[in-house]
Amino acid sequence: MMIEAHNLTKDFKTPVVREGRFSGLRTLFSREYRLKEAVRDISFQVERGEFVGYIGPNGAGKSTTIKMLTGILHPTSGEVRVGGVNPHRDRRQAVRQLGVVFGQRSQLWWDLPVKDSYDILAEMYGVSGAEKTQRLDQFAELLDLREFWLTPVRKLSLGQRMRADIAAAMLHDPDLLFLDEPTIGLDVHAKRNIRQFLSQLNRDFGKTILLTTHDMDDIEQLCSRVMVIDQGQLTYDGTIPTLREQIGLPTEIRVKFRGPFRVPEETEVERLPYRVTGIEDDTVVVEANRHEIGTMEIIRALSEWGDIDDVDMAEPAFEEVIRSFSAS
Amino acid sequence: MNLAKLRSWLRLYGLLVRTTIRSRMQYKFNFVVGTLLAALVQISEFLMVAIVLDRFGAIRGWSVHEIGYLFAVMTLSKTIYRTFADEVHHLEKYLVGGELDQLLTRPMPVLLALMPQKFRLMPAELLQGGFILSWALGSMMRTGQVGWTAVIATLFIILTGAVILFSIGLATATLGFWTTRIVELQNITEDAARTAAQYPLTLYPKWMSSLLLFAIPVGFVNYMPSLYLLRGEVGPWVLAVTAGVAVICIFASLRFWRYGITKYQSTGS
Repeated sequence: MMIEAHNLTKDFKTPVVREGRFSGLRTLFSREYRLKEAVRDISFQVERGEFVGYIGPNGAGKSTTIKMLTGILHPTSGEVRVGGVNPHRDRRQAVRQLGVVFGQRSQLWWDLPVKDSYDILAEMYGVSGAEKTQRLDQFAELLDLREFWLTPVRKLSLGQRMRADIAAAMLHDPDLLFLDEPTIGLDVHAKRNIRQFLSQLNRDFGKTILLTTHDMDDIEQLCSRVMVIDQGQLTYDGTIPTLREQIGLPTEIRVKFRGPFRVPEETEVERLPYRVTGIEDDTVVVEANRHEIGTMEIIRALSEWGDIDDVDMAEPAFEEVIRSFSAS
Repeated sequence: MNLAKLRSWLRLYGLLVRTTIRSRMQYKFNFVVGTLLAALVQISEFLMVAIVLDRFGAIRGWSVHEIGYLFAVMTLSKTIYRTFADEVHHLEKYLVGGELDQLLTRPMPVLLALMPQKFRLMPAELLQGGFILSWALGSMMRTGQVGWTAVIATLFIILTGAVILFSIGLATATLGFWTTRIVELQNITEDAARTAAQYPLTLYPKWMSSLLLFAIPVGFVNYMPSLYLLRGEVGPWVLAVTAGVAVICIFASLRFWRYGITKYQSTGS
């Protein structure tokens, strides 16, 4: 078992900040607190070799959970084991067997060339020179690190920095990798590059990976298992097909026709992966599942019904979908 | 903790310090201006003290040289503390920005990761403290008030003083795990207390000198050992007590720090 979380709960207790003179001192001695339950009684286990996506709306408790699993935050109650070690009791031992990447923050030394950060990390984790060279050669190949090998980290693009950071997290060859929003703010190309590498780490090297993301494509393309958290509670834990079935991700398309149009009979429409949900004057409303049919295909099909004047699409926001899903 | 581990940590510490210096050298201008400004502050502070000493001469039976000695020991102890552990004093930055996260994922003690984040060379403070100390000790040796052994004892109390100041700084910073903001507290426990102890504690009312000896033990940095070293009061045991205070302070503050870390809240991402 790579990760075990038993009844994890985390409350944040922030003192109410006083205004005016000596505010810091008065805050210190104040007995007023604001209590926020960030994570409530979460339990789960992750087996070796799993690729788990951890999703949920902003502020749902994703990062808080990851920070508890990696030993950064101590849970208010409950217990964690990563690779059999309790990261709150034996933090130094626990972090040796895991790699952590925070999308918003770098582990690397800001003002130094990328290469120098790897030298320091190797020393810190006791990675021998030979191992370091061998692993870096491999990563450089897979992640195209060489093009910015000697560039100071602060001058890297976001995509380059993320690649460099992931390589850094894997330098000591941990069995377990945590990534918090690894694709946030990246362009399509950079995302593809990173997904490829992560998928390789999981498939070819048997690494266990847990990532949080807002990008449904990350989940679709990488994860064998999804966990959904909302308002601090686990609301789903299972496979993607099951999740998709439950969510459905329907897209609503409103097509306005110019002049006459003809909506095919029910029997004809049946075999198509979309449903006509309403007809008002010159507008037809169609609901489709984006996983089954592309938007262009739908429009192409609809254009056979008549002369299209205007198309209006309402994508279901990911956050909303998760919300509605948790509510149901 | 075994010796091999200690040695590997020291090597790692050295590596991180070199890394930090190399990073800082990317901003040479900043470094030079910062050092010059510090020198200016030190010179004006020294002038202040010099004027006070010149005006009033002896204070409550303490000669100009003795007061200069108190001042210099405090400056040098603080310089050692801040050279190595400036980031402990600036922990608030890490708490507010959540930058402690990264340090907590490293396979080394958090303090050992935190301290080398900055290595502050403080030539101005070192020169000023060294100059006043040489002047004060030199004058007292000429008059035969102290002997050569005082030099060695002085080096010793500068070190124990640095340990005491570090402990006070660490304990104060640790409170930040509850309050996040610590600057105002530091104004009291570090700056105000240290400034007060630059003068003989007999100057102050009883409650205040007790506070500076037993609550925030800055009095043990310079005043208590000076009582024996310069004036032959109390007894030589005072040096042992000073060392004992330093040891107790560092153990207590490290314990408190380790407990404080479990209360770290990080920041929302």
